[in-house]
Amino acid sequence: MSKNRELLSKIGLRQDGRRADELRRIRCKLGVFTEPDGSAYLEQGLTKVLAAVYGPHQVRGSRSKAQHDSAVVNCQFSMAVFSTGERKKRPRGDRKSTEISIHLRQALTAAIKVELYPWTQIDVYVEVLHADGGIYPACVNAATLALIDAGIPLKEYVCACTASLANNDVPLLDVSHQEEIIGGPTLTVAALPMSGKIVLMEMSQRFHVDHLQKVLDKALQGCKDIKSILDEAVKSHIQDVGSSTGWASTT
Amino acid sequence: MFTTKAFIKKNKVGNYLKHVREHYIRDDISCGLQECETCLPVESFLSPDHENKCSLFTSNHYLILDTNVVLDQMDILEESVIGNVIILHTVLNEVKHRSLPIYKRLCAVIENPSRHFYVFINDHHQGTYLQQNEGELINDYNDRCIRAACSWYINHAPKQKFVFLTDDSANRIKAQKEDIPSYTVSEYVQNLNTSGLTDKLSRKDFHGNDFTKDVFPNHLSNVELLTGIREGKLLQGTFRASRDNFLEGFVNVDSYEEPVIVQGRAGLNRSVDGDTVAVELLKEEEWVCPSEIILEDEGVGDESVDDVVTKENELQKATKKKSGAKPTGRVVGIIRRKWRQYCGILQGGIDGVYQMFVPADKSIPKIKIETRQAEFLRTQKLIVTIDSWPKHSRYPHGHFVRALGNIGDQTTENEVILLEHDVPHSQFSEEVLNCLPKMPWIITDDDVKKRVDLRHLDICSVDPPGCTDIDDALHCRPLADGKLEVGVHIADVSHFIRPGTPLDREAASRATTVYLVNNRIDMVPALLSSNLCSLRGGEERFAFSCIWEMDQNANILSTRFHKSIIKSRKAMTYEEAQLIIDDKTKQDALAEALRSLNKLAKIMKQRRLVNGALVLASPEVKIQMDSETMEPLDVEVKKLFETNSMIEEFMLQANISVAEKILEEFPDCAMLRRHPVPPATNFDPLVKAGRHLGFEIRVDSGKNLAKSLDEAVNTKNPYLNTMFRILATRCMLQAVYFVSGTYQKEEYFHYGLAVPLYTHFTSPIRRYADIIVHRLLAVICGADSTYPDLLDKNKTTELCQNLNYRNRMAQYAGRASIAFNTHGNYKMRKVTCCMSVKTPCKFLYHDMAWNVPYLWPKKAKRPIFLNTMKRTRHKKPEVWLFTLLTPL
Amino acid sequence: MPQKIHIRLAAHRINPSIAVNRRVPKIFTPGQVITEQNEFMRGHGTYEEEGFLKSSVAGVKEQVNNLISIRPLKSRYNGEVGDVVVGRVTEVQQKRWKVDTNSRLDSVLLLSSVNLPGGELRRRSAEDEHMMRQYLQEGDLISAEVQSVYSDGSLSLHTRSLKYGKLSQGILVKVFPSLIKRSKTHFHNFYVGASIILGNNGFIWIYPTVSNAEDNAGGFVQNLEQVVSRPERETIGRLRNCILALIQSKMMLYDTSILYAFEESQKYSVAELLIPEAMVDVAILTQDRLSMLENS
Repeated sequence: MSKNRELLSKIGLRQDGRRADELRRIRCKLGVFTEPDGSAYLEQGLTKVLAAVYGPHQVRGSRSKAQHDSAVVNCQFSMAVFSTGERKKRPRGDRKSTEISIHLRQALTAAIKVELYPWTQIDVYVEVLHADGGIYPACVNAATLALIDAGIPLKEYVCACTASLANNDVPLLDVSHQEEIIGGPTLTVAALPMSGKIVLMEMSQRFHVDHLQKVLDKALQGCKDIKSILDEAVKSHIQDVGSSTGWASTT
Repeated sequence: MFTTKAFIKKNKVGNYLKHVREHYIRDDISCGLQECETCLPVESFLSPDHENKCSLFTSNHYLILDTNVVLDQMDILEESVIGNVIILHTVLNEVKHRSLPIYKRLCAVIENPSRHFYVFINDHHQGTYLQQNEGELINDYNDRCIRAACSWYINHAPKQKFVFLTDDSANRIKAQKEDIPSYTVSEYVQNLNTSGLTDKLSRKDFHGNDFTKDVFPNHLSNVELLTGIREGKLLQGTFRASRDNFLEGFVNVDSYEEPVIVQGRAGLNRSVDGDTVAVELLKEEEWVCPSEIILEDEGVGDESVDDVVTKENELQKATKKKSGAKPTGRVVGIIRRKWRQYCGILQGGIDGVYQMFVPADKSIPKIKIETRQAEFLRTQKLIVTIDSWPKHSRYPHGHFVRALGNIGDQTTENEVILLEHDVPHSQFSEEVLNCLPKMPWIITDDDVKKRVDLRHLDICSVDPPGCTDIDDALHCRPLADGKLEVGVHIADVSHFIRPGTPLDREAASRATTVYLVNNRIDMVPALLSSNLCSLRGGEERFAFSCIWEMDQNANILSTRFHKSIIKSRKAMTYEEAQLIIDDKTKQDALAEALRSLNKLAKIMKQRRLVNGALVLASPEVKIQMDSETMEPLDVEVKKLFETNSMIEEFMLQANISVAEKILEEFPDCAMLRRHPVPPATNFDPLVKAGRHLGFEIRVDSGKNLAKSLDEAVNTKNPYLNTMFRILATRCMLQAVYFVSGTYQKEEYFHYGLAVPLYTHFTSPIRRYADIIVHRLLAVICGADSTYPDLLDKNKTTELCQNLNYRNRMAQYAGRASIAFNTHGNYKMRKVTCCMSVKTPCKFLYHDMAWNVPYLWPKKAKRPIFLNTMKRTRHKKPEVWLFTLLTPL
Repeated sequence: MPQKIHIRLAAHRINPSIAVNRRVPKIFTPGQVITEQNEFMRGHGTYEEEGFLKSSVAGVKEQVNNLISIRPLKSRYNGEVGDVVVGRVTEVQQKRWKVDTNSRLDSVLLLSSVNLPGGELRRRSAEDEHMMRQYLQEGDLISAEVQSVYSDGSLSLHTRSLKYGKLSQGILVKVFPSLIKRSKTHFHNFYVGASIILGNNGFIWIYPTVSNAEDNAGGFVQNLEQVVSRPERETIGRLRNCILALIQSKMMLYDTSILYAFEESQKYSVAELLIPEAMVDVAILTQDRLSMLENS
């Protein structure tokens, strides 16, 4: 069956009606919880993610983790039982979520100005409510928003995006779950879009180095597009809250 | 720019899963009309200049098609009279889902700019997207979408006329209610001012003698079939019709080792060779044995079935309840039709518009067609396709697609063979020819720098007479301390065929050069195959060399590969080479080299045979043609010289060396060739035949098989051994190409050659697999770089599948061509042989590959090939008259 | 007593925003360039890269002479000397308590910075060190004042005033620190019969007004025996719900806004105040009254 399906039709539309270089619809919201210091909800297509940030706060538990020159970033990724088509128990700390947690930490540590807060810890909790491809990028993007909401200083936004290759020729941006199944290799890139620095790159399978550049360029372009969408959301959120508080104590 | 609509699908994979997918609705999809000013301009082949000349309408118009029109009337759509057609995306998807071949044909039409087709993506367009209602069937929903798109077009471009063609009357009535001008295809086509097109209309049913008595039992509905299969009451399998008995067939069911026999009209129940069917097993006491009689359909029309009834009785008698009855069943429904286009001729002696078509493939039933040009068509080979097979009709209904040419013409017959075996044989396109190097082609200094110059070596080639595509050459020279240097030089085709070019794609699709008796279908254009890549004598050519250092006992001491430039001293035939070797007076370097090679080859062959390699003679038949009339004159079995096996040995060794090398470097994506060990049951006929003639054939291992074959010699009958070997060949499985990463190491084994690793390297001019191997090897040598597809396991596996398929087909086509021409050859000497069906049954072997049955009466010295095309029934029912292929 | 529980779909959620269109200052987001010049000093929420002064948080620009800083709308509590905070004791250590004050690091309350029972000038003896847990133990809530800020950003507190000390009966509401408006006093006794401590760190303590102010002197006594009357409890509950209503709509908290909200909430019962519509309604009414006050 899947052989009959093509990632990109001859007319240039994908299965869901997007063109090759179009992102899925991104909707996001900051400050969805009151308890954590910062929180965000993000939808990338049907992939839905909640992120909550606690901190920076005193290192709890074993004090030896604390570092004298930077804050410790602690990430925890989890998937809701109902997040995929099949309802199944997902024990915490399985291989996949541990891996994503580590990758998340890698991407976020690159953006957070950790050197400002020695001896402290920043906790980032990410929960996937619905998985429809591109889980990791959605988590990174949501976590960025939550960090901004928490007022934690960042060098800049950190955004992530996937890209794949259709018909061995055309790079596809932001692949959905269906496309992940049909398709070939998926390249996941997390980057600091303004400076163009890549902080994490992962490939689902081997593909030829000749294609790498164009797929990577496409993914980076995707990160930039995502950044401007997030930026807009942040600005409107700040404007909203600021207007309510009356820009208190603004001099 | 877009919005999301999620929809939910239920899918059953053990348990219910919920699928939610995005569906973006766009506002940037164009209608494709050139005149339209509101839509974004887009590449569209629709053109106001094209005119659909249909007398139903006064003005020009655009056509919108329903799915059933595309599925059933593809032959009409391929006619260039019809243009300015808008294909809705809904329709395209449905077609793709229902029939992949039709979809491909439709795509070919859409991509042709002169046909003025346009695909309108209605399901993502904001004006035409509809949401599926709850409980609405998918078909109704699609129909609704199609009508909505029609209405949208009518409102969108009020100045243009749009016509909706559908053969679904319910949809047509609904469309008319919505003020969409709609017609059936036949209404439309009959009013086109072009004759001959009506023949090509697909016929679901012929009017007239309808509602007569049913000839076949009903098929079960789809739901009943699925539940039946799930509950295990019914079996699903592929139907294979018998070639000799039109009332018998077999269904290969996965869970059964032996095929299920289906017999009789009711048993077969309208299944056609290749269909996926559902069978119901009969009770064990009703089981029968496979028939060994030949029954031929002699019906001339579908009015009466009386003759079938008598034959059914005959069949029943012949197969009834002896010992050894096999599982028997009857077909109760068709799960998937595998109808294709069939070559054949019209049956003579029928008047009127309804004609019977007799397919060349004997496993396909006759097809009833309607035509107004029967007189002309009777002289032609035709292509016909099946449209339907209603239960009240004895024969399937079809329609005429096109004529190939006069019956009996060599070109027509070749065309038939090529078509029946799915051999791509069109001329090379302009695009492909553009990839060829410009003539005159010269070797530049740059080329010399990159290659090892071997022009000083005494290289020669040995090939069959008349060979123009010489892809291998050899050399041999003594080294110090008694060692020998042996080089195999293979034409460097991969230098000219660069990956990804149209030329490369075409060659990959053709996969192999196909040799017919008097025609050759090249894999690559002639400039390469017969000139630039052909290692002709006395000309400087690029080669890929495999050079060994050997000792006098033919042990390989070292191997190296590199690209080179060579100059063959001489292109010889086997016979010439043999003469040089035998002529002791010749003492020049070339003769010495040939002698050394010959000596080495003998040692190598001996060693191979000891290891258990099989010698499976498949007599190569050479047909001499009259150069002017192209009539076959004589058939001769090719003579074999020592030099034949000499060349063969070195080619085998080169292939083995290369296989080892590429597997070492590319353990994951090397293209190799394996020959699986056949299952023991495959050898049953051979063992039986051996026992019958008093020989013990051991098949437990390749080595033993080879040994017992060698021992099965009857001095009185020299042909017997060859016969055994032919029979053994038939028991083998096909050797296939594969990608190293996809099998276990033990499975790499080549059974026939008894080597653990094998590949094809030595004939890149006529085999695509060799080109891939060349590329891999070039990467290893550092002479070339990789490209993505070369290292992609899945892509290469796909490629292998195509190569295997094409190779098999090419082989069949070649044999069919020989068979046809040998038939023709003995046309003059009509020897008839009377025999009773009962007695010679045991000796009636069916040579599947040649499609020729043969007899081997006990007293005869060699088998008698029978010409089934020319068999007639004697007055007594058990006696048949055959025309013999082999003279007695 | 049957309780009404309101669960609603995300789609039916109401927008609590009551933003009024005021002059919107320029908003900076992380990574955005603030200025090219180098003559400015970089303050909080900014960093320098390749000659540009860039923002590291999302917020608005504040400039004091040459010092540019970006203030995020929400962050952990940044303590300043003199701030009133409410905190919870997390640890008892040698001669000090650790107090969670919602800042980045736990604050410190030195044994020497508290008024021990028995007079201000009492000497701290070794015995006192052993008695520390008697005065304050883990989990206790205190009110205190920021005495100084250490170099790593952690705070040193003191309770050397009668108003500070251990908190007894009442409720704690945690809000984002930026929603607390700085004012002269953060202790308010409302005429309605309850008092409130608006900790600068976002912890708000609501408690019944104590008629006799001398009773809580020293601040290490907890009278859990005394029964708070139902009307008092209702008032406290209503105050809490009003504060929740205000913070849901991101309104600043100070005595006037809370009092107005309290007055405007009278048409709802205490329980009804948890319904989002009612909360928004209260917030809007409060907002109106505040703007009237401002304009008058």
